[in-house]
Amino acid sequence: MSYVEALRLALRRLRTNALRTGLTSLGVIIGVASLVALIGVGEGTQTALTKQIAGLGTNLLSVNAGGSLVGGIRGAAGSSSTLSLTDATAIAALPGVLAVAPEMAVPNVVIVSGRANTTTSMTGTTPAEQTVRAYEIQTGSFISDLAVAKGLRVAVLGPTTVTNLNLTPAEVVGSTVTIDGIPFTVIGVTQPKGGSGFSNPDDVVFTPISAVQSRFTGASSLRTVGVSVADPNNIAYVTSEIQATLRLRHALASTASDDFTMVSQNQLLSVASSTTATIRNFLIGIAAIALVVGGIGIANTMLVSVRERVREIGTRKAIGARRRDIGRQFLVEAVIVTLGGAVVGVLLGMAVTGPVGSAVSVPAVPTLGGIALAFGSALVVGIVAGYLPARQASRLDPVEALRYE
Amino acid sequence: MVADQSAAQVPLLEGRGLTRIYRMGDTEVAALRGVDFRIDLGENVAIIGPSGSGKSTLLHILGLLDRQSAGQYLFAGVDTDTLDDDRLAVLRNRAIGFIFQSFNLVSGESALENVASPLVYAGVKRRERLDRAQESLVRVGLGDRLHHDPSQLSGGQRQRVAIARALVTRPALILADEPTGNLDSHSSAEVFALLEQLQDQGLTLVTITHDQRIANRAQRILRVEDGSLIDGNAGDSSYLDHAEQGVS
Repeated sequence: MSYVEALRLALRRLRTNALRTGLTSLGVIIGVASLVALIGVGEGTQTALTKQIAGLGTNLLSVNAGGSLVGGIRGAAGSSSTLSLTDATAIAALPGVLAVAPEMAVPNVVIVSGRANTTTSMTGTTPAEQTVRAYEIQTGSFISDLAVAKGLRVAVLGPTTVTNLNLTPAEVVGSTVTIDGIPFTVIGVTQPKGGSGFSNPDDVVFTPISAVQSRFTGASSLRTVGVSVADPNNIAYVTSEIQATLRLRHALASTASDDFTMVSQNQLLSVASSTTATIRNFLIGIAAIALVVGGIGIANTMLVSVRERVREIGTRKAIGARRRDIGRQFLVEAVIVTLGGAVVGVLLGMAVTGPVGSAVSVPAVPTLGGIALAFGSALVVGIVAGYLPARQASRLDPVEALRYE
Repeated sequence: MVADQSAAQVPLLEGRGLTRIYRMGDTEVAALRGVDFRIDLGENVAIIGPSGSGKSTLLHILGLLDRQSAGQYLFAGVDTDTLDDDRLAVLRNRAIGFIFQSFNLVSGESALENVASPLVYAGVKRRERLDRAQESLVRVGLGDRLHHDPSQLSGGQRQRVAIARALVTRPALILADEPTGNLDSHSSAEVFALLEQLQDQGLTLVTITHDQRIANRAQRILRVEDGSLIDGNAGDSSYLDHAEQGVS
């Protein structure tokens, strides 16, 4: 008997037992749907996180001032004052470096515009900041070289900061705000990057580094130097170059530890990726359990079905069915129930991926890979679930089977 | 003519010292004890005997559903011991049509599909299968019941569907196991008439029966008693009464 005949026979049988077929495949439907949905949510999480980290900059390498070591006691990160503007200039001269943005941070400044005010953190920087931290301008312009050279009191605000001041970007550009009492002219507003919480990239104010130096800190030490590496494959090399340069410039003895730290965007990405991969695999595992339970249900129903159809099997053997014909009939039946369940499960999974994602605030979409995996697993489950009943049916002795009541 | 002569020389079925022993735990039960017979092409043979005499065992071996424990069974001159299970299945499919006491139709499949099912295993294409099945159903007088489910048919009609299924492969041999055993007298007559018709058409027919009419029609009666075979004449039905008593 060909597989086409076995298929025809199976479909006829399953149609006459529609309710049982439906209930049997329910386990597979749920298993496949959860696989599709959870893989979609997992991928969505990964994509969102990757996008967020990619939004931090362009092949970003962040050089941070380390904790100072005073009398054997290490201070907080950034307490060291050894990272300087000339360090930034030296890094900019290294091969493979695309752009360097020295960053002088002033946390918790109060910005006042008319009667509204907000508190945010200020970053004194150079035009390179735009490249290094991947900021786009929606209205106006970013800080210019001229503004940095002259120490102009101009400011670029983040969109959240603008909203906090009860203004629109169009209104705020060209207006004057005070930052900790010092008047600044707003020359631009950045595009929203998305993100929230502790360090919202949209709640910021950028000013020329020279203005911050002269008006606020009075010092020349930097908190951070943002470095954009030209070729992402080159990050390890550039990292070691920067390390060697800074150690030399800071005159560190060979036994001394670095007085700075470096974090690359790729490191952040790989840490985040491995975390989300763990979560995703966990979710897939749960869904796979559901699918396996569905498979057990199918195996069970098929075993009952073999028992019910002993006489039919005996009759089929009498009229010329070989062992493999009988085996094929039951195996195909199990696989059809499973694949039918898988098709419904995929559709259901695709339908619920979005809602499930939004329930956990992740932009989830069903992925082709997820669908393929779910479908493939279901096929394997069907074959495994059908194998034992099929073998049992094919091995029945025809005389015994015909005598069976 | 040469082919006819050789066909006449080789019986369709031949048993030499057929023995079938069942093991039940430690005890051995002999269902057949060294049975010899030959049945030629076109013969009409009735097998009679009381329940438990071994006639069903004999029919199963004749139908290649079971194998003897000792002795030799030749099917169209071929020693069946040389054939594996798959070959036996193919032989059952091509050369034998079975008629069972309880019809053994598959419910959920129409009369037409039931009749066509042996052709599925013969690898016949669907269109031809359905044509031949229809032809076969017309032959048993059920041309107007093609798409009925077995559950919608009377007992006699079901048995006629089963006969159509046995005929559809145009087998050399029809094996019937109490074909009228589950039927009321009216249906029984209906099936009996059909079997008579088949006999007239020259089919080789081996029937296990308690039905005196069928036995009377047979050219030869093989009486099985306690695992042994007694070849009897068609006219001699004196032991039929004895056989009837075996029915419980």
